[in-house]
Amino acid sequence: MSRVSRVKRAISLAAIAVVVAGCGSTATPSPTPAPTPVVTPAGPGPSTIVAASPTANPAAQCGHYTGPAATISYAIWGDTTELANQQKIVDAFEAMNPTIKVNVTVADWDTYWDKLQTSLAGGNAPDVFLMDGPLYPDYQTRDQLLDLTPYIARDGFDTSQLADLGIKDFTAADGHLYGLPRDLSTIALYYNKKMFDAAGIPYPDGTWDWNKLVSVSQQLTKTVNGATQWGFYTETTDMENYWSELVWQAGGDIVGPDKKTLMIDSDQAAQGIQFLQDLIYKYKVMAQPTPGGSGDLFENGQAAMEADGSWLVPSHIAAGIDFGVAPLPAGPAGKATSVNPSGVVVYKGTKSPDAAWEFVKCYTGPTMQQLVAQLKASMPVNKSVLATTYATSFDGGQVFADSLSYAHLKPSFRGYNEFTTALQDELDTNVFNDNNKTAKQALDDVASQLQDLLGQ
Amino acid sequence: MPAFSIARIGSALPRVRGGARPFETTRARRHRGPRAGEWRWALLFLAPTLIGLAVLSAGPILATLGISLTSWDMLTPPTFVGIDNYTSLFNDARFMTAMRNTFYYTAVSVPLGLVLALGVAMWVNQRIRGISWIRTMYFLPLVTSSTAIAIVWLWMYSPTGLFNNAISIFGISPQRWVNSPALAMPSIIAMSTWQGLPANVIIFLAGLQGIPTEYYDAVSVDGAGRWARFRHVTLPLLTPSIFFTGILALIGAFQVFDQIYVMANPGKPGQSTITLVYFIYETGFRNFHMGLASAASWILFLIVAVFTILYFRTQNRWVHYQ
Repeated sequence: MSRVSRVKRAISLAAIAVVVAGCGSTATPSPTPAPTPVVTPAGPGPSTIVAASPTANPAAQCGHYTGPAATISYAIWGDTTELANQQKIVDAFEAMNPTIKVNVTVADWDTYWDKLQTSLAGGNAPDVFLMDGPLYPDYQTRDQLLDLTPYIARDGFDTSQLADLGIKDFTAADGHLYGLPRDLSTIALYYNKKMFDAAGIPYPDGTWDWNKLVSVSQQLTKTVNGATQWGFYTETTDMENYWSELVWQAGGDIVGPDKKTLMIDSDQAAQGIQFLQDLIYKYKVMAQPTPGGSGDLFENGQAAMEADGSWLVPSHIAAGIDFGVAPLPAGPAGKATSVNPSGVVVYKGTKSPDAAWEFVKCYTGPTMQQLVAQLKASMPVNKSVLATTYATSFDGGQVFADSLSYAHLKPSFRGYNEFTTALQDELDTNVFNDNNKTAKQALDDVASQLQDLLGQ
Repeated sequence: MPAFSIARIGSALPRVRGGARPFETTRARRHRGPRAGEWRWALLFLAPTLIGLAVLSAGPILATLGISLTSWDMLTPPTFVGIDNYTSLFNDARFMTAMRNTFYYTAVSVPLGLVLALGVAMWVNQRIRGISWIRTMYFLPLVTSSTAIAIVWLWMYSPTGLFNNAISIFGISPQRWVNSPALAMPSIIAMSTWQGLPANVIIFLAGLQGIPTEYYDAVSVDGAGRWARFRHVTLPLLTPSIFFTGILALIGAFQVFDQIYVMANPGKPGQSTITLVYFIYETGFRNFHMGLASAASWILFLIVAVFTILYFRTQNRWVHYQ
């Protein structure tokens, strides 16, 4: 999930509803993700799991905890809806592990990191806490996280049951895992079925490329009943949704595999970002960005398509949009999307490492991942749950699940925030919010500063 | 507004001069201040505040001075770097932008806020029908949370919001307000001026009601009109209140953060609304440069201190105590 979306969700969903109402759109229910109906059979109970997947080492499964009884704290970012969701998952964990009690605490995105840093500095950080993929190296390289590799070996835990990119993102430079991915977010193309039907245009599919996106967006950008309907909507304020995908689709990259080489100053990267600027100012199929001011135009029923994250599924459903999901249109260098895992990590100074590990292990196991899938707010990291429950739980689940095969990990390196702030400031000011510069000019202007930040 | 600034400006409060002190005993008049036995009680009652200041304010303030001489990410041991943080700040384009934005905000919002507050205070200082309702309306922003205010103002600034509708009546094309680099800071100043108005109005209102009506009667007899009454009675006698609100507004403006934080994040129009306190927050808590952030806080502290001292120096020239 992008930072902006998290902040938006955290500020106040009620306020967003006010914005929605103020935009003169058709009345929409509050985008608060309503408790989604369970359309899939409930997850198998613990006993079923053991029977279904027998293994030599029962410790690899959840529910065989033999360590000391403990109370652990688990900190997450989000809002009250997210807290309620996580509480359900924690309840399932406690039912399987009666000797471990888990206290969940929630804070909004910005406050979460403030609290985390001060509590780490003060030596009383939560036992288990949520970690954003891009920020993981900042904490891992500062020796704050417990190395889980010995626990994985001890219990014979099979990490290959989890999404490969998720494991890759949490594998540190020394090859050890200092956390496990909890769930995944990826980006695809949402489309409003009613708007496509009304225009008699076939729904987007895996054959689409940039040209097709432009031509259909142009057809769908028009005045309907006196109100502007936009062909396309996306967010411009974070690379995750959706300019990093465009960079990859054009054959470029943001930083090299060594995390020290700047790649964003290439012609291919510029071509990707230029395409987004063109959607706004050249083809005029997307409203000029007013971050924080307009809300999600797709969710408000004012745009026909939206390139955005899997985390929007519950709120799009709650908003009553009849939507479908298609893969992102391919660029000159083919298909690409982004995947960003959130992970659960254990504080190195925890007093209950065994109980904390048990929680992390169980979180990635089938029972709790089944609950993640039912919430639809993110994609389960467990391969079998992703391929079954999630993929079939709504129209589009299969597209999100399949898109992992051509996904790139959201960049993740020490100093990510400072790097991305400098880059995004330049793009917001001169490329997206206004077209003062071409993408190439803007990237050339900011390249040396970015290179300095990578070299730190 | 942090508590310490209230303590610092305490001496600027209008003092009651002269007049009989009916409750003073002769002994107390000989021994100005508390007697030996009373000192103990005074200290006892002051202890919570003094300990609080020493532990919660003075300690951290001094600690930041030490931290500002180090390179420290909060999580690994600091290394001493001398004054490197200070020198690198002055070569830091983002810091200099934050400095410029902060001066811009202060230079516009302080005078604007005071003039408007004075106008409103004079208007609600009348005996008209429903005045208590009108006053209540003006004081509402004072009891509303900054975040709630910012969200409502964001809505008014939205592309199809109140302000764009209002200016369209005059044929002006829609503006982008907080999303436009040029209008972002004025938009935020407008909101925080509205938000800060009632606190100043209350002080001005108290000041206005403390002006004896005899003075107005006297100048009216001399043939003074409305303007002359304002210029020669109201304004001079209100200078202690103006001085007091001025110093609060000045310090508050240099420390502006929450309006910026809520309105310009997310959706910041580039760097046009980054202020010094925002820079400090971002540098320390987002980018792991606690040493640099501490150095920036000391530079901010020195700027505020210099302006406060200069402001106090002007006191004798224009502030009239009755």
